[in-house]
Amino acid sequence: MGLIVNIIIIAAIFGFAGYQIYRAIKRSRQGKCAACDYDCEVKRMADKAKKKAF
Amino acid sequence: MTTVALLGNPNTGKTTLFNELTDKYEYVGNWTGVTVEKKVGQIRHSDTVVVDLPGIYSLNPITKDESVVTNYLLKDKPDLILNVTNASQLKRNLLLSIEVLELGLPVIITLNMIDDLKRSGHYYNLETLSKSLGCPVKTTNARSKEGLEQLKTELIQDNVQVNANGPLKLNYPLMVSQAIRQADQALVKDYNIEPHFAHWLAIQFINQNKVVRKYAKTHQLKPLLSQQAYYDAQKFADQIFETRLSFIETTLAAATEQLQSTQHVELTSKIDKIVTHPVFGLPIFVGVFYLMFKLSFDWVGTPISTELDKLLSGPISTWATQFLTQVGALPMLRSLIVNGLIAGVGGVLVFIPQIFVLFACISILEDSGYMARAALVTDRIMEMIGLNGKAFIPLIIGFGCNVTGIMAARTIEQPKERLITTLISPFMSCSARLPIYSLFVAALFPRNQAVIVLSIYFLGIAVALLMAKFYHVLFKVKEHSVFIVELPEYHIPRLDIIWHGTWDKGKGFIKKAGTIIFAGTVLIWLLSNFGVHGYVTGINQSFAANLGKILLPIFRPMGVTTWQPISALLTGVLAKEVISSSMMVLFHTSNQAALIGVLSGSFTTLSAYALLVFILLYIPCFATIGTIKSETGSAKWAAYSVVSGLVISYGLAFLIFQIGSLLA
Repeated sequence: MGLIVNIIIIAAIFGFAGYQIYRAIKRSRQGKCAACDYDCEVKRMADKAKKKAF
Repeated sequence: MTTVALLGNPNTGKTTLFNELTDKYEYVGNWTGVTVEKKVGQIRHSDTVVVDLPGIYSLNPITKDESVVTNYLLKDKPDLILNVTNASQLKRNLLLSIEVLELGLPVIITLNMIDDLKRSGHYYNLETLSKSLGCPVKTTNARSKEGLEQLKTELIQDNVQVNANGPLKLNYPLMVSQAIRQADQALVKDYNIEPHFAHWLAIQFINQNKVVRKYAKTHQLKPLLSQQAYYDAQKFADQIFETRLSFIETTLAAATEQLQSTQHVELTSKIDKIVTHPVFGLPIFVGVFYLMFKLSFDWVGTPISTELDKLLSGPISTWATQFLTQVGALPMLRSLIVNGLIAGVGGVLVFIPQIFVLFACISILEDSGYMARAALVTDRIMEMIGLNGKAFIPLIIGFGCNVTGIMAARTIEQPKERLITTLISPFMSCSARLPIYSLFVAALFPRNQAVIVLSIYFLGIAVALLMAKFYHVLFKVKEHSVFIVELPEYHIPRLDIIWHGTWDKGKGFIKKAGTIIFAGTVLIWLLSNFGVHGYVTGINQSFAANLGKILLPIFRPMGVTTWQPISALLTGVLAKEVISSSMMVLFHTSNQAALIGVLSGSFTTLSAYALLVFILLYIPCFATIGTIKSETGSAKWAAYSVVSGLVISYGLAFLIFQIGSLLA
């Protein structure tokens, strides 16, 4: 039982890490705001606008 | 249904205001003949519709996109025009307002960004402005939502009361007003055109408005067409402009109120005489940066960082080990969590104090008004290279994050200059490189931390400028963009603005720790614990060691004698902070103090400096490469930035180590 829990935790850590690398590369490819570290006003406005538009 | 048209100069916060006023909106296709999207929104609990018009400086369009507004006014008749102006640049903004007011439609003018105006020590008497312009004048601050509710109420009210006095009538010179009167009377009489509109058509036609002249041709408005040559020969357009300008100047002079005494203005000019001095300006600029690093590294950042490290490597690691042992975690999982994640990710997180202090300093410099002066001071050096101060602004922004810097290069109109700025941006030392500098300076330059980091930053600027000169010659740049910078008055930075600026930038760093730095650390832990034969107990048989050892001969000429930093550098492509966490994992150290000890044993001051230079200039991170590709629209430039970064960084680190060794 303990072994299974251990394996699940290890798998979760590796899974999350793998997903983050995949996401980072995908966002980097997009470039621009998606790739940027900052959470600036323009970025927030663009996100808000995307949600608002119907 | 009431239609309100939102009209104003570019950069007046029109779009922010539109977003705040409407609670939902949709794109209803493009404006006729251009690719500019038409955006229509609705004010909550009302049947008032808001149309967002593109930002323009004048109704006489320069580009095709700008013709949208004039065409809209010619064909559609909005019930109300909301003219959004930048309160700090009212003189320029009112030129457009006059053109709109002359049309005679109901207009409300809002002085947006009113906070910026107040901070500059001025204010306008709204009643005087309103009386002079003949329309209601409101103040708003779209960002802080100040004045928005009142404005909303005004917009959904019955607008018949607005502009009850009709269109604004300026006292144009006699000949011009005669020409306007004759034309508009003929238009009313012969073409049955509504008097206000005829009057406006006549002024715009005389003022050489291309769209209106085309409109007159299409509708065969003979009273105007027959006089065109006469209007142009008499230079009526110039006279119209001068009359408008002097009207604005008189109006603003009458309405201006001083919030602060002129002492404040005098103080600004006194400070400017020193900080923008042709000789002292640059040393002051360097001094300001030195102070910034002194604060981040020696005075505030590092002491707090050391305490954080003690907490992490002491109680937190011990508790985690005990807990994991108790719950029966496998040794591999314990190693992954304690030696990998806590040591690695935590090892980067302990640099939060340095990074936040640096961001706070940058925010203070921006908000106090000094950054605009920095651009002005550097303009002289940039001129020698062929660029100008405008290109320096994206470079300074690049100190935070290179991606943001490259995005900021969009403000440069000249395509070749923009490309050059994009290509040199990765040489600016972004904040992600700070953790690794901190480690090395603490290990090998404990007494001169700020000076060493300052020298690295300025080396980055120097390389960027040299490369800019090289590209300038290579691309045969002939055209130049113009650099105009507005120098705001100095003021004591506002705490909330500093906090927002610091938090917006710093938040990204914390978020990265939980995402890409976490992932990078797991990756390097995997590479350092697995080899060709599976799980290894000795790190020397791992993939990371194999890879590092293969590349070691290449790095030896720049003073690197161990394989660990080389493998760590490879992970830095994910994000530069990962170099620090990788070092922690690869050197098998559980805390910052232990890693500092190991580094001081593996490097000399010379080889450490050469490696720092290499880290400063080598391959940009994935995010930066992606942005170079998307901004230049070419994968070739992205690939080029990788290759050029590698060549320059290797060459310079090699030279520093070799020449330094000869001299030592």
